[in-house]
Amino acid sequence: MSAEAIFPPASSVASCLRPKTRVYSSLQEQSLIGIDLHETVKWLLNISNFTMGSLYRSEEMCLAQLYLQSEAAFACVSELGELGLVQFRDLNPNVNAFLRKFVHDVRRCDEMERKLRFLERELNKDNIPVDDDGDVPLAPLPREMIELEGKFEKLESDMKEVNGNQEALRKNFLELSELKQILKKTQGFFEEATMYQTEHTGFAPELEEDSSRAGDLSRGPFTKLGFVAGVILREKMLAFERVLWRACRGNVFLRHAEMEVPLVDPYTGDKVNKCVFIIFFQGDQLKNRVKKICEGFRATLYPCPESPQERREIAVGVTTRLEDLQTVLNQTEDHRRIVLSQVAHNIRVWFIKVRKIKAIYDTLNLFNVNIAEKCLIAECWCPVADLEKIQGALRHATETSGSSVPSILQVMKSDESPPTYNRTNAFTYGFETLIDAFGVANYREVNPTPFTIISFPFLFAVMFGDLGHGFLMLMFSLYMLYYQRYFLRNKTDNEIWEMMFGGRYLILLMGLFSMYTGFLYNECFSISVNVFGSAWNVSADPGWDTEYLKSQTSLMVDPGKPGVFRGSTLPYPNSTGNPYPYGIDPIWQLASNKITFLNSYKMKGAVILGFVQMMFGLILALNNHLYFKNYLSLFCEWIPQIIFLLCVIGYLVILIFYKWAVWSAADSSQAPSLLIGLINMFMFTAPSQTADTVVFSGQAGLQQGLQIFIVLLAVFCIPWMLFTKPVIIYYRNKQKQATAGYGEVHTSVNGISDRADILAHDELNINHESELDSSSESEKHEEEEFEMGQFMIIQVIHTIEYCLSCISHTASYLRLWALSLAHSELSQVLWTMVMSIGLKEPGALGVVMSFLLFWVFSSLTVGILLIMEGLSAFLHALRLHWVEFQSKFYKGEGYMFSPFSFHVIVEGKSEE
Amino acid sequence: MGSFDLSEIFYNVDSGYLEGLIRGFKNGILRQEDYRHLTQCDTLEDLKLHLQGTDYGNFLANEPSPLTVSVIDDKLREKLVAEFEYIRNHSYKELGVFLDFIKYSYMIDNIILLITGTLHQRQLSELLTKCHPLGTFDQMETVTIATNTADLYNAILVDSPLAPFFKECISEEDLNEMNIEIIRNTLYKAYLEAFYDWCKEKGGATADVMCEILAFEADRRSIIITINSFGTELTKEDRAKLYPRRGKLYPDGLIELARADDYETVKRIAEYYADYRPLFDGTGNGPGDKTLEDKFFEHEVTLNVNSFMQQFQYGVFYSYVKLKEQECRNVIWIAECIAQRHRAKIESYIPIM
Repeated sequence: MSAEAIFPPASSVASCLRPKTRVYSSLQEQSLIGIDLHETVKWLLNISNFTMGSLYRSEEMCLAQLYLQSEAAFACVSELGELGLVQFRDLNPNVNAFLRKFVHDVRRCDEMERKLRFLERELNKDNIPVDDDGDVPLAPLPREMIELEGKFEKLESDMKEVNGNQEALRKNFLELSELKQILKKTQGFFEEATMYQTEHTGFAPELEEDSSRAGDLSRGPFTKLGFVAGVILREKMLAFERVLWRACRGNVFLRHAEMEVPLVDPYTGDKVNKCVFIIFFQGDQLKNRVKKICEGFRATLYPCPESPQERREIAVGVTTRLEDLQTVLNQTEDHRRIVLSQVAHNIRVWFIKVRKIKAIYDTLNLFNVNIAEKCLIAECWCPVADLEKIQGALRHATETSGSSVPSILQVMKSDESPPTYNRTNAFTYGFETLIDAFGVANYREVNPTPFTIISFPFLFAVMFGDLGHGFLMLMFSLYMLYYQRYFLRNKTDNEIWEMMFGGRYLILLMGLFSMYTGFLYNECFSISVNVFGSAWNVSADPGWDTEYLKSQTSLMVDPGKPGVFRGSTLPYPNSTGNPYPYGIDPIWQLASNKITFLNSYKMKGAVILGFVQMMFGLILALNNHLYFKNYLSLFCEWIPQIIFLLCVIGYLVILIFYKWAVWSAADSSQAPSLLIGLINMFMFTAPSQTADTVVFSGQAGLQQGLQIFIVLLAVFCIPWMLFTKPVIIYYRNKQKQATAGYGEVHTSVNGISDRADILAHDELNINHESELDSSSESEKHEEEEFEMGQFMIIQVIHTIEYCLSCISHTASYLRLWALSLAHSELSQVLWTMVMSIGLKEPGALGVVMSFLLFWVFSSLTVGILLIMEGLSAFLHALRLHWVEFQSKFYKGEGYMFSPFSFHVIVEGKSEE
Repeated sequence: MGSFDLSEIFYNVDSGYLEGLIRGFKNGILRQEDYRHLTQCDTLEDLKLHLQGTDYGNFLANEPSPLTVSVIDDKLREKLVAEFEYIRNHSYKELGVFLDFIKYSYMIDNIILLITGTLHQRQLSELLTKCHPLGTFDQMETVTIATNTADLYNAILVDSPLAPFFKECISEEDLNEMNIEIIRNTLYKAYLEAFYDWCKEKGGATADVMCEILAFEADRRSIIITINSFGTELTKEDRAKLYPRRGKLYPDGLIELARADDYETVKRIAEYYADYRPLFDGTGNGPGDKTLEDKFFEHEVTLNVNSFMQQFQYGVFYSYVKLKEQECRNVIWIAECIAQRHRAKIESYIPIM
């Protein structure tokens, strides 16, 4: 973007409709920013007695040691699991998984789970739905576990027995139905053979006469034909035929026919297609060979008598047996159903119970076992505010388990940094996730989430501003909110949907704010709405009569002429001579220099918004420094930082407001150019009327003095940031070294007494450590010396980064303007290129075209403008928060508090 | 490395996804640390528990206790086969041919297994459970009807993918033990040569990697055949016919090998080759010594691991299957040691990577 484009000098803008508009637009801009300013000021004022609870700073945590009696441990962990407020630490990280104490019980749970999964598979096989009454049972006691085990064992063996029976029956059934098919199909083959022989040899009768030799057919006095009949899988038929032909050198005769009905495989229950075949051959050798091939292809052979009578008899027998089998099969099926329906009723509850038990034992495996005192020792992080609740849970658990000795919770001191725990609710959850995606806040660091709740949707909306699009987005979020109970219950695997649903409140706010900014921009699907009536009056110009207006394609409206601006006489409520009260005047929709006008307005808005947000970030940093009592950073870093920002960008922002306030529409041609003024300020060039850089008219000297002072102040801040902190640390260090000796020993003794609390049960360890401490003392000093060099480098990097970022981050906020421009241009293109074509067409054709084009228009609106543009605006808003805003105060190097909670485990999302 | 080859430009279009997948699978191969944990297990249940923490995940979760080694074996193999079949089903053109080549070696093993089994009057159903599922084909189960090799070829194998490898061993002789061994080795020889030539023709990085591996495979077979033939009826001429002629030993080394009479001669021949000399050093049958076979396996593992160093080539697919096979052998070895309470030798698995 060239300098001209960002702040175009008034003289360079020449177009037909040319109101001198800077002053006029300032009003709206203020109102646009007003909300943000107002909100931020409110936050600022409330910081001292912030009421949003732990969302502002993460919950205060403490490390606690639990002494649990062996008999009460299970109940205690179960209670804590229901509570979900405690994060246990692994006290035996060096012990293998299978060497831990409760591994046997975990394995029992695994076994139970396996049985349940087996039952579940059986349920799925029969398509029996699992009852889900949403009831979540408590974790059962260990003694109940034995009962459950017995129950599952019995069910499994029952089920297996039923399955075995069913399989046998089905196999039987399959064989019989195959035989039936063979008898039916071979009938055809034999008949064919008979016909063939009658026709060609006349020996037909012999086929049946010679029936005494079973399985053998004799044809004529010399040839004796044997045959086998069987069933084979359809897909194997081709290979079978080929091998048969090759292996028997063409000396066999094969006929086959496909079965019309697919049969059921007894083992898998799938439907399979099979073929019936019959093979004629000659001699015993061939017979063996054929049989072997059949075996090789897993074809089942069935005895098949040659005489039609016998076949018929067998067929009758088979049919009756089939009918009998069918009834038996039905009975087994019913029995199976009864067993399964009982399972279906309970299986969900059982799963939850088993998972809970397993989770408890897994947790118990993290504990230290003290055999002498028969107790388990656990260490855990928990929120200080909830200690009461946890104590209560432990008491309750001890009572229910009937243990005589109470379980003890003891808070310990720890040097380790505690986990970060932000309590969220359905509304704040989505925003917290956005921040955590960048990095989990350090312990007790200011959390940007509460501010992001407002600023994120707002910055998004600045880029996405359109009343119509915002409305559609709002409707979508309302849809999700209205059906949220349903969606929460029926989880899908669709990640994209889950993500959108997780951010439903975010989308709600984004939609609302987009409607708000869209209203300010006065755009609804890129069309302006004339709500209050335009403040412009074309007829005020005496030279413009109706004739003249009709003859011109474009007009130049000059606000300098009396009555043209603020002189509307139309019967609107706004005919009093005020500017358009809220948002952009709809007349701009018609102007050919609309973009130029809006660019200037939106760019300045972007700079102001950026400055405000960065300043706010610095104020949060101040809050951090005060909270952590880091006065060194406060005086050596924070103060020069804020002075630098105020000098460089703050001055510019003040000038913007000053310019809006002082120059009116009429005299805007003499308005100064801020950008050139800013550049000149850094080059120490005196402000001059010729360069359009005099802002405070008539006081150019004062302005120059002020500007030189500002620049010098900013420059002075750089060494301040760079050197003071390292130098102070260096001298402090030196002092420490000078007084080293007894003092050092003293601190290390303190260190030990701190640790003694933690490791009270391990005294050897302490002695060992103190030895280590004293021996490494001399090395420590050298290390600190060495760190100084590194520290200096880091400070240099930070300083350079900060100074550059003041400029680059401000420029980065111009994306607010760029995306907003892109969005409004794109929606305008969509309107003029698609929808308005249909609307312009007169007559019936117009109706049809409008109807058809509407679908194109609406799908493109949703696809490109809502989804793609929405995503891009979302990403840019996210970037502005992560980089430009959070870099001012947020470290984000903490780790998340992940409590042991049944809630998560039962959902099956995370196991162990 | 590797001359400029146009096919490499389009490699990722055809096989990029599968290569990514196989590299992902390869990262799941058990590491030294996993083996250390596995060897510490006291029961098979412990083994199962530990394997659950690796890429094998819940592959044994649905097996009722008590576990047996054969169940573990089946499940390990099932997993490999599932992965391989997935890759094969998604492979395109040449990669498909390549993967089929990998399958052929299993087919050869299966046929030989079935024929030997039938000679010893075993039941077909019993034999089938021992066949490797990667090497099944339609006509496989009918090989039992053949009594001589001509029969075997004409009736059964002519339609199978193995037919081209069979040309050299057609004879009217009846099948007997000796005969079968010769068929196996001749088939293998033909197979290795065909595979080698195919890779060579493919060119590029595939040839670089695969020829190295296959040459080693060929030489290993030659050496093993020679060593195993001492004291059997196999004549030297017949033996020479079984050597695959694609390795580094070809042609001089093979001529020498054909004349060899004892192990020392073989060792001396191998010492001329820089790749094989270290394999013979320090081998022996004493306790603590590694057998030559183990040394060969180790070298094979190294070659296969190295094949992952190059991209845009099919060698990774071959290497993955081989590495995974070695891993299965390792796990089964450890499982057997645990099951039989024979812990002394538990450490003699072949570590990968």
